[in-house]
Amino acid sequence: MRSNLLLISKIGWRSIWRNKRRTLISLFSIIIGTGIPIFFVCIAWGFYAGLIDDVARLMSGHITYEHVEYRNSPSNDLWVEDIQKIDQTLNNNSEILTTKQIVNLQGVAHTAKGSVGISLMGVEPEKEIAISFLPENIIKGKYLSKGDERWVVVGQKLAKNLNIDIGKKFVFTTNNVDGELTEELFRVKGVFKTGSKEIDGHFVQSDIEIARKVAGLSNDDVSQLGIIVKNPDNHENFIKDLQKSVTKNNGVFLSWQKIMPDVATTIRMDRTAISSFMIMLVVIVLFTMFSTILMSTLERRREFASLLAIGTQQIELKIQILLETIFFGLIACPLGVLLGISLAKWVEGYDMMDMFGGKAEDMTVGGFGMDTIITPLFSAPLILQISIFFFFAVQLLSILPIYLISRISITDELRSI
Amino acid sequence: MNANREIVSLKNIIKNYGNDKVITKALQGIDLKIYQGDFSVMMGPSGCGKSTLLNIIGGLDRATSGNVMFDGKDFNSLTNKELSIIRRNQIGFVFQNYNLLPVLTAYENAEYVLMLQDMSFSQRKEKVMELFKEMGLEGLENRLPRELSGGQQQRVAIARAVVSDPLLVLADEITANVDSKTAQSLLLLMEKLNKTNNTTFLFSTHDPAVKKIARKVILLKDGKIHKEKPSLENI
Repeated sequence: MRSNLLLISKIGWRSIWRNKRRTLISLFSIIIGTGIPIFFVCIAWGFYAGLIDDVARLMSGHITYEHVEYRNSPSNDLWVEDIQKIDQTLNNNSEILTTKQIVNLQGVAHTAKGSVGISLMGVEPEKEIAISFLPENIIKGKYLSKGDERWVVVGQKLAKNLNIDIGKKFVFTTNNVDGELTEELFRVKGVFKTGSKEIDGHFVQSDIEIARKVAGLSNDDVSQLGIIVKNPDNHENFIKDLQKSVTKNNGVFLSWQKIMPDVATTIRMDRTAISSFMIMLVVIVLFTMFSTILMSTLERRREFASLLAIGTQQIELKIQILLETIFFGLIACPLGVLLGISLAKWVEGYDMMDMFGGKAEDMTVGGFGMDTIITPLFSAPLILQISIFFFFAVQLLSILPIYLISRISITDELRSI
Repeated sequence: MNANREIVSLKNIIKNYGNDKVITKALQGIDLKIYQGDFSVMMGPSGCGKSTLLNIIGGLDRATSGNVMFDGKDFNSLTNKELSIIRRNQIGFVFQNYNLLPVLTAYENAEYVLMLQDMSFSQRKEKVMELFKEMGLEGLENRLPRELSGGQQQRVAIARAVVSDPLLVLADEITANVDSKTAQSLLLLMEKLNKTNNTTFLFSTHDPAVKKIARKVILLKDGKIHKEKPSLENI
């Protein structure tokens, strides 16, 4: 049986090179068919990964611990307690990179020029510098440091709307956890620019201690505890474990998809569009290949008939045809992977705006600005998945030829023996 | 060597083609026996049923009715797969158009059946090389069929047919596509194989040269055996 297989493989391999031009065209189709989706997926998935990570690090992490009702109504009087102990437990977990304690306050910022509704986020400045991209986006002044008290960083658009600059002050009006109206004076330490209209126009960061003081929270209370994990794509089971082991009272662990549903939906829709495009490409490539494989089989009917006549089994001919498409897949799919990765590597670091035009400000997903610098994600499982999908799709092409060979009549094909 | 060993026995073979409305009667009650060592030729006008009969004897086609016994096995009771195994192990075919596999070299074409039989590499090499030497194919082992002349291709086809020492070699119009000199040499080669290896040959041909060399002539006419007699030239 081994020598039979060897023989069949030899014939199959040589048969595909019988018409070199046709074979090269077929291989080219599969290479393009595999390479282009891999290129697009590497780029798109890179954008998504970058976006998710940026937003998670800027806002409340890949996983967020918050009051069970906070999602429905993110008001100042919904907080979680006993946070230092929970924080310590989480930081001992090997799946977690770090955590960030956050106090969110919704309110109004006033200056002589006017009032703007803002979201003030009290953060731990030293952690924020390590985690978030915001400190790097300071375009004027400096980012926060521990013990900054009333110093804050504001978005460029907000600074413009309130006519404030470095060292200038504004009044922040909000309500504390008891529902009492409270006011606090803040001074601008730095101005940031993220490219997102919402963040640049309505977002302010302060040291967490002053935010706690304004809200009337103790050192052990926060609005949210953001968790930055090592693997943001796969944390459903992790959340369930945390929910069982760490949660206290009214706290709940939520994934970034639940915290930022707009971002999750946009990414899901985009991924669906890319997958549909991939399927269309597969169909086109398979259609091109199909006629080639079918033709190369049909024009060898007499040859197959003579092989059957001298004692070749039907199954051996079927294996030969299958092997021919397997050879196509084995040659072309890895080359397609190489093409896709090379293309993605080639455009890595380019600014999408330079390549395709448009404004970076327009590149927002769910209100968050996207980094327009191309940073492909070379995910081995994803690339393998696409190439295996294409490989097996190509194998489907052998079904009809195999069926036709199974119906071959030796005497009809040979007319006489 | 068993000179009287019956290899093929046909009893009342009928073969019809077509459907319920139009029936073509290709064979109409053929009775025939072929013994080991026979060197027979089937002759007759076009459409007399030579090829159909050869197909049925070779297990490539099935008779509409009648019995085909091959080396004691009833073809009617065998599955297509079993017939295929008999063809692989016990019957050699030589085709008018050679039908060599174009992607295999002369050596590999001859080796093909032995590989199907799972023979070891060394045994295959020994058998094929010995046969190539005997058949004057030395030096042509690595040539592809397209690099060989018609006569050389037909020699390779004969080598492929006899290399596994089959009980019966069926040869259909094997001299039709080669010149008379080449045809003569091919026939002498097969006669030699018949005499030295006791290989049984059954030819189907229009070529009088084949008739000359054969020891038994079967004349077919209108799907029936018209005459079955020893070849006059060889008596």
